[in-house]
Amino acid sequence: MTAVAPGSTIVWLTLAAMGLPFAAFLAIFFVTRPRLLPSLVISLACSAFSLAVAWWLLIHLRGIDAPLMFQALWMHGGQASIGFGFLLDPLSLVMLAIVTSISFLVQVYSLGYMAGDPGMAKYYSFLSLFAWSMIGLVVASNLMQLYIFWELVGLSSYLLIGFWHQKFSASQAGKKAFVMTRLGDLGFFLGIIVLLLNLGDLSILGLNSQAAAKLSPALLTASAVLVFCGVVGKSAQFPLLTWLPDAMEGPTPVSALLHSATMVAAGVYLVSRLYPMYAASADALAIMLAIGTVTMLLASTMAMVARDIKQVWAYSTVSQLGFMLMGLGAGSYFAGVFHLTTHAAFKALLFLCSGVFIHHFGTNDFFDMSRQGARHLRIPMVCITIAGAALAGVFPLAGFFSKEAVMGSLAELDQGIWLWAGLLGALLTAYYTFRLLFVMWRPLQPLQDKQSNPGHDDHQHSGHSSFGYGVMSAALIVLAGFTIALGFLGDKLIAFLHWQRPPQIPHHTWLLVTAILVVLVGIALAWWEFGRRGAAQEGFLRRFPALETLFARRWYLDDLYRRLTDYVVYGVFSRLCTLNDRRVVDGAIDGVCRGTVGAGWLLSFLQSGLLQYNLFAMVLVIALVGIYFLLL
Amino acid sequence: MSFPILSAIMLSPGLGLLAVLFLPRENKRAVRWISLLSAGLSLALTLYAYAVFDTTAKGLQFVERVLWVKSLGIYYFLAVDGISLPLVLLTSIVFFTGVWTMWDLEKRVKEFFALMLLMVLGVYGVFMALDLFFLFVFYDVSLFPMYPLIAIWGSTRKEYGALKLTLYLLAGSALVLPGILYVYFQSGLFSFDLMEIAAAGLPPSVQSLGFLLFLFGFGVLAGLWPFHTWSPVGHVAAPTAVSMIHAGVLMKLGAYGVLRVGMFLCPQGLVEWSPLMATLATVGIVYGALVGLAQTDLKYVIGYSSVSHMGLVSLGLATGTLGGVDGAVFQMFAHGIMTALFFSSVGHIYDRTHTKLIPELGGMAKVMPRASFFFILAALAGIGVPCLASFWAELLVFINGFQVYPALGTAAVLGLVVSALFMLRVVQRTFYGEKNQKYAAAPDMSAVMVIPRALLAGAILLFGLLPRLMLDTIQSGVAPLVELFK
Repeated sequence: MTAVAPGSTIVWLTLAAMGLPFAAFLAIFFVTRPRLLPSLVISLACSAFSLAVAWWLLIHLRGIDAPLMFQALWMHGGQASIGFGFLLDPLSLVMLAIVTSISFLVQVYSLGYMAGDPGMAKYYSFLSLFAWSMIGLVVASNLMQLYIFWELVGLSSYLLIGFWHQKFSASQAGKKAFVMTRLGDLGFFLGIIVLLLNLGDLSILGLNSQAAAKLSPALLTASAVLVFCGVVGKSAQFPLLTWLPDAMEGPTPVSALLHSATMVAAGVYLVSRLYPMYAASADALAIMLAIGTVTMLLASTMAMVARDIKQVWAYSTVSQLGFMLMGLGAGSYFAGVFHLTTHAAFKALLFLCSGVFIHHFGTNDFFDMSRQGARHLRIPMVCITIAGAALAGVFPLAGFFSKEAVMGSLAELDQGIWLWAGLLGALLTAYYTFRLLFVMWRPLQPLQDKQSNPGHDDHQHSGHSSFGYGVMSAALIVLAGFTIALGFLGDKLIAFLHWQRPPQIPHHTWLLVTAILVVLVGIALAWWEFGRRGAAQEGFLRRFPALETLFARRWYLDDLYRRLTDYVVYGVFSRLCTLNDRRVVDGAIDGVCRGTVGAGWLLSFLQSGLLQYNLFAMVLVIALVGIYFLLL
Repeated sequence: MSFPILSAIMLSPGLGLLAVLFLPRENKRAVRWISLLSAGLSLALTLYAYAVFDTTAKGLQFVERVLWVKSLGIYYFLAVDGISLPLVLLTSIVFFTGVWTMWDLEKRVKEFFALMLLMVLGVYGVFMALDLFFLFVFYDVSLFPMYPLIAIWGSTRKEYGALKLTLYLLAGSALVLPGILYVYFQSGLFSFDLMEIAAAGLPPSVQSLGFLLFLFGFGVLAGLWPFHTWSPVGHVAAPTAVSMIHAGVLMKLGAYGVLRVGMFLCPQGLVEWSPLMATLATVGIVYGALVGLAQTDLKYVIGYSSVSHMGLVSLGLATGTLGGVDGAVFQMFAHGIMTALFFSSVGHIYDRTHTKLIPELGGMAKVMPRASFFFILAALAGIGVPCLASFWAELLVFINGFQVYPALGTAAVLGLVVSALFMLRVVQRTFYGEKNQKYAAAPDMSAVMVIPRALLAGAILLFGLLPRLMLDTIQSGVAPLVELFK
């Protein structure tokens, strides 16, 4: 590790790139919010600066052979001292470039998408807050700093998902996202405490180099699994996956941001960040592999029946994140990070393209879009096809290479079941992606009476200006370029991530052929059902209504959680505690008060003021005293 | 002798009180200005003291010690250390903003501000006095104005709330006084000087009983479960500024008493009773959040969140570790500011809409963006969002709680999810969604009335971003104290 001197250019630039988005948030939120233009300028300028610094760092430091670290004391108390700083190594440099690029593109795109929304300045302040938290998370030098920005990422997504909070479903989705990820974060937090109390050092480098040596295997596995709970929440893995599909209640560019480079990617990034620590615990990797696999398959089935374009991509995100964790769990650091990188590009592209359609047609239902002539919007249509093909894993797009890397790592495992599950997932992914694409390209007859649109983000659009369409298309084209090019950079990335000493990755020709065949089968099935001339555009699942309902209802996970909260948390615990407060605690106090008053009331009869009674009492007392003395 | 800054901070509301008493009742304007000026003077002096406080030196600073009654060993002994100074700062901030918030009060203005000034005089006294006699006198001085303040200017079931609160707190006092006398006689020094008694040390059996008396006596005021039910009821009934001071500062008197008198004089008692205290605290944390889930009155919600948050203070104290007590003191400060902001925003909403029932509100973010912003910020601080002051405090308490009592610490961390659920639920129901047309025209805060709230919000952000500003000070006071528990 190399500690960089506090005054050097790198330190200043990195700290500025970390801090400026926050400054932009403060400036816009508290000062320029009533005026749109300065707010936009501030936000875009700061974002562009971070972008420039991130790419400059990546290029400038491409040959580093040891991580660069800078850290200052942020907080201390007892044995806990928490630093604030940055750690630059290949992983964080790559991720930093991804995060700043996507968030800059999303900001540019939003110029068109959000034009005319009364809350646009506030929206940009939240985007800046989001960028700040994510950058802080990526470059964090220690696990506590990472956790802090991790929570701030959660806060920013809460604010952005619920951006149109006058809509009940939006505020509900924001709350759900926050609480569900918080549930996972409990584990993460406890994991950090366990690590802190047993190691006394939370720096990422220290954890990676020492955790395996200093902790007993059981403790290492326990803390790795606890930290992984946070990943399950944030990356929407089974069983905490149901918040992500709801999170599309936010504006579509936010979904693009959330689903590609930030929020959900943070979970996978955390595992990669601590990969040496995870790699030391076979049990933790096995758990990761199992959870990733289950999630990938579950979410794929959900995507097969969704009709809402954003929901299809949301499920596919969950599924692809599961896929990344499978790669990491199978022992390949490179495969997971590579898929994270390519996925960031094509998933952002998918959402941004969908945003253009949603913006244009005022509906989220892709069957409806298709009827209204979605295929006539050439640029987004071409881009969504490229991105969809990349998601499905079509050669030579980015997704193909990274999926191949993950499959390769799965093939190395002893049990064949993981590879089969991976191939099944690839089949389903190709099927649901091309289902959507074929529907969009080949429209059905327009319906005579137009139904009411399901859940479009109904904000005030200022018409469809050519400027808006222009900036949105520009962002799409840039991302499409990435989607095509990134796949070929795999060799460079693997060398960079492994400090120029890449491990040998075995190639299996049979696997390559099988994977391509599987994808082709998926596409062919989709074509048969949705793409060919005269296709009924009904999936084979229509013939299994029970299965279709199960998938459409998300395997009843949501209903389960709803009931758990309603009946157990509210119905039992909250109710019992409230009753206890009213009846038992307060009841006892009021009882004491009533007892006091009552005793006073009883005693008050002694003070009747009637001479007879007083005399009687006197005689009685004297008699009693007399008896007492006589008997002794 | 240098300038007696502590006496000046404390007597500034005293002078204000005198001036207000001699003003004619009709001159409301002058009453308000004098109250605000004396609060402002206290705040300015406190900020100065905070700035010049030497965080590297351990022990007491700004000491003023004069023999008062020789035969009984009573001293006029004022001083602060790293534990009490943040609380003095808290008092100054909350009092200043509270007076400002009540600017528009029209009902019996003179009496209201006179009682407020008297109460704050007592609060300052408790935080500064290191003589048990004075400490107890100031303690009662700060409690008794509560009854008229709630019973006259309050709302919802105000007589019941005021009576319940007063009886409860006096019951607490009734344990504290025997405790003080017990310690006074058992020490054999015939001195009320806290430092002298602590230096001499008490026999273990005395420490054990003494600690229990102080724990429950002061604990009532700190909202220690199950002696907490006065607090939500009292908060709901009290007028805005009184709720602010009450939840923001007065509850801290209880925790401070446990720390300064109970733990400092009877360290062995803490070691002995720590499991009991930690258990009660943890139950309070989870229980307060769960009861909060079921509330429909904004002020009740905040009241129960206070029970939960003050449970964190008790848990931190119970650990007896450096980090835990650090966290507890920080949490006292952070919770005080946060609750003051809560009540201050709810006060505005209630003034304008005359309701604080959550189902009747809704969509307030569109109607009153400023008031809503402050409430939401306080709510975010309440659920422990990083870079807001309470986060650091909670972090320290959780780490040390987990270290000393792993099971209780885990349960307390679980409370985090419940509190997130319940705060966000309130925010959603009250501020998001469709607005209630009945209140659609209710005016937002004026720019002038934003200032006190902005001060509170600024403090939350400042100490959240730069926690060392507070922790360096706190640690200089806590470090010598925790040596006693070894």
